[in-house]
Amino acid sequence: MISNRRLMLAHFWLAFAVFGLAVLLGEWQMFIRSPLHGWLHNPDLYYRSVTAHGTVMGYVFPTLVAMGFGYAICELSLGQPLIGRRWAWAGYIMIIVGSVAAVVPVAMGLDSVLYTFYPPMIGNAFYYIGVVLVVVGSWVWVVLMGINLNAWKRAHPSAPVPLPMFANVAAAYLWGWTAVGAALELLFQILPVALGFTNTINAGLSRVLFSWTLHAIVYFWLMPAYIAFYTIVPRAIGGRLYSDTMARISFALFLVFSMPIGIHHLFADPQVGSGFKFVHSVFTAMVAVPTLLTVFTICASVEIAARLRGGKGVFGWLKALPWDNPQMLALAFSFVMLGFGGAGGLINMSYQLDSTVHNTQWVTGHFHLIFGGAIVIMYFAIAYDLWPHLTGRAMQHLGLIRTQLWLWFIGMIVTTFPWHYVGILGMPRRMAYFDYTGMSAEAVSVIMSTVGGALLVVSAILFLVILYRNHSGSRAEIAPFTFSRAIHEPTSLPLALNGLGLWVGLMMALTITNYGYPIARLIGLHDAQVPAVFIGAKR
Amino acid sequence: MNDHRPRLISLRNPWFTASAGAVLILFLFTVFVGFVWLPSAQNDALFKGLLNAICSAAGVPRAWLSEASPPVQPKAPVSSVVLTPDMLGGPSSGGSVGRGATLALRCTMCHGARGVSAANTPNLAGQYEASIYKELRDFQSGARTSAVMAPMVVGLGDQDLRDLSAYYASLPRGDVSAAQQAHAMPNIVATGSPMRNIAPCGSCHGDMAIKLGAPWLGPQPHDYLKSQLEAFANDRRHNDISAQMRNIARNMTADEINASASYYAGSK
Amino acid sequence: MAETFSAKSNDTAALAARLEKRWAFMMVSIMALLVGVMIFTGLHWAMMPPSRVETINPSTLHVSGEFVESNLGSAVEADGSITVRIIGQQYSFTPQCIVVPAKTPITFRVTSADVIHGMLITGTNINSMVEPGYISTFKTEFEQTGDHLMPCHEYCGVGHEAMWANVRVVDKDAFSKMAAKAGRLTCDL
Repeated sequence: MISNRRLMLAHFWLAFAVFGLAVLLGEWQMFIRSPLHGWLHNPDLYYRSVTAHGTVMGYVFPTLVAMGFGYAICELSLGQPLIGRRWAWAGYIMIIVGSVAAVVPVAMGLDSVLYTFYPPMIGNAFYYIGVVLVVVGSWVWVVLMGINLNAWKRAHPSAPVPLPMFANVAAAYLWGWTAVGAALELLFQILPVALGFTNTINAGLSRVLFSWTLHAIVYFWLMPAYIAFYTIVPRAIGGRLYSDTMARISFALFLVFSMPIGIHHLFADPQVGSGFKFVHSVFTAMVAVPTLLTVFTICASVEIAARLRGGKGVFGWLKALPWDNPQMLALAFSFVMLGFGGAGGLINMSYQLDSTVHNTQWVTGHFHLIFGGAIVIMYFAIAYDLWPHLTGRAMQHLGLIRTQLWLWFIGMIVTTFPWHYVGILGMPRRMAYFDYTGMSAEAVSVIMSTVGGALLVVSAILFLVILYRNHSGSRAEIAPFTFSRAIHEPTSLPLALNGLGLWVGLMMALTITNYGYPIARLIGLHDAQVPAVFIGAKR
Repeated sequence: MNDHRPRLISLRNPWFTASAGAVLILFLFTVFVGFVWLPSAQNDALFKGLLNAICSAAGVPRAWLSEASPPVQPKAPVSSVVLTPDMLGGPSSGGSVGRGATLALRCTMCHGARGVSAANTPNLAGQYEASIYKELRDFQSGARTSAVMAPMVVGLGDQDLRDLSAYYASLPRGDVSAAQQAHAMPNIVATGSPMRNIAPCGSCHGDMAIKLGAPWLGPQPHDYLKSQLEAFANDRRHNDISAQMRNIARNMTADEINASASYYAGSK
Repeated sequence: MAETFSAKSNDTAALAARLEKRWAFMMVSIMALLVGVMIFTGLHWAMMPPSRVETINPSTLHVSGEFVESNLGSAVEADGSITVRIIGQQYSFTPQCIVVPAKTPITFRVTSADVIHGMLITGTNINSMVEPGYISTFKTEFEQTGDHLMPCHEYCGVGHEAMWANVRVVDKDAFSKMAAKAGRLTCDL
């Protein structure tokens, strides 16, 4: 049963509202940068928009989805009302205040530093304070998830923790720890300069601290999607989860391996030694393992559903799947995009190949396919699945939902494939202009991307309309929410898989081994303190 | 029963030993490969020997160019002003507006009584403090040559230059906004010419962002702006640090020089 | 349906676990293979991420030391190798046209005078971040003569899109002729 519907709806609605605005910004950026539009008379407008788009899509939107979904999982899987409801609201308000504080100076052109900050460029302090508030607001959620799990465990000693909550708390702890890197950068490096206490900054140290957050944040975005893969989709398509144990191991591995690998973003940086670059590169290879395990478990779960529906043959069972079910459709789209995006990711993680695509449009294509594609389409699926339980009204217009998912899938493919291509041709990312004179391959590709972006805008609007119209539907008797059941449901679990202590411990230990020395040495490197460069117009 | 209660962190817990052991082995293996084995394939002297290899792979700072030829010294003096955000800040180093006003009496002939002049000389009213200070220092050191300015700055101390800069920075600018709005911003000012390595003027000169040491350009006399751009382009003026302005001016066409000078002069 | 499962529960559980283990083993092996390839290229082609950490004060580059303007460009060292020194700054590289000989060991020394920049040389795998406070040192050798673009690939402010330089690779003889005159070598655009 859900007892805090308003809390969850507030999170989801705010998430999807800011998402809708940021999608519009993204499409505008593609349009004005394409040959369809002349050069923007003020390039700063473009960089403001990139900063806002990145900040909303990277920090605000996925965090709110993870929080809203997390609160829902907490109540639904533990069967107890959320402990700390007031704190949850306080965290929510912090995120609103933080988002406004961050986006207003960006819109005014005071903080065109992109969401990756890029010190020693320093903008208006309110932007950084806003981002810190968003992070602190989300930490409230992290703490609450831990408290709720522990309260349940005390009440149910030695009972297996439900898989959804296990995964949810893994996501929370992952975020809690991985956000520390960016928080340290903001609090001890950037804010003292932005507030005028000092005028120097160690750009190399800042980049290392940011890399602590930068890679694992992707896995934090990914977690809700994976939770849906394991605990919603198999039930929704009438199947069973193939393996509960493997699911837990996958989430545990994410917790251990997604954080101490961030230096692979710094392969080309002069402030980190190659030894640590190699260590991080190998651990990056390890983080692919839980995803590959997930592919197996979920495909097997889907096959179970197909065979239960009478599917036959080696591949013939595919026809027996409920393709008209939005969850099925979303899963299939998500896996296709994850496959292409993951293949691109393998190229990025290998040092030799990375140097051919580093900082080109290829990278933009890659992470839009993974995050905007594979992950966000599962956010849609989560919303469609939860909405009737939050509003008490059945989902109407299944056809419209299918159209929306198809549009998002096609739009994302049409947007990102040309990006990969122009990246290989050498088109850099983060540029307000591009001269297409005599470059028909680039021009055609970029126009295709813009058209794809337009499909994404239509799909996003459709998504919001579908959710909104559900609120005015007629009240219906909604069957109680259930998560997927495993074929072999655990009756007792080894301690290691019934809590996260071991995995959090390993994550922290690896942080010390993989990041301890580089950070300690850079802190001691006073020679590398460089003057800040304050940005923004100064008349 | 309690005696046998399983503990998570215990060598008897196979999950703990297996996971921690595997991670430890993986870590030790990567450290061996990354810090010892791979550096051994490098032909750099600073990677030779076990300790050297480990230190270099760990990123210990050291001088990586041992046998370099000595730096080539400049033929003509170049700017030696060190620009930092706090170069003019602080109670001791900051300029005094009042003292600057007195010192500025000698400048009024060319630069006007209130820093705005009808002659073809730069308007100093409201100019950025750091920019005035830098140019004065460059006139003193000979990095920027001017038959008129060179004798004017002889005998001025560093504090005098700071005071003068503070004074002129404090004066109100001539009204240029109306004049500039009178005609649209030319492309060279608004967008630069990215394909020819020309950033928008405003990305350094204050409209969109300020590069420390770069001056505010409006309103400045048309002929002054034009002559300076041409001097940068022909390498006759070279006190821009590390050629930052010569790199831009060299690529500008005569039309672009005219268009930008007209725009910032506020005249057709 | 649930009964069917529980009836065969023990068999299927064992089978499921076996299949999973086999898959997990395969996946870990694939990753191990990838790591093996990385080690192989690192050892035999000596391809390794840059590892030469060195600090420098970005505010005084133009005043003294190896990054003074007159010392930028290509220098011929005693052993015949070339050292190329480049400054990245908002919004240009100095020198704007870099000339180097083909088939000669080249050491790049690059640093930034203000914010974080990046550089890549198109058509090669030279790709480095350029950060204030640090010198990026990396070694390379150009096989063929030709012209390359060298854009700044990291966002460095509103003028970022306009920041790039040219790299001209000439043959060894042409380069030695140019090198006959003293000083550092650059080219005209």
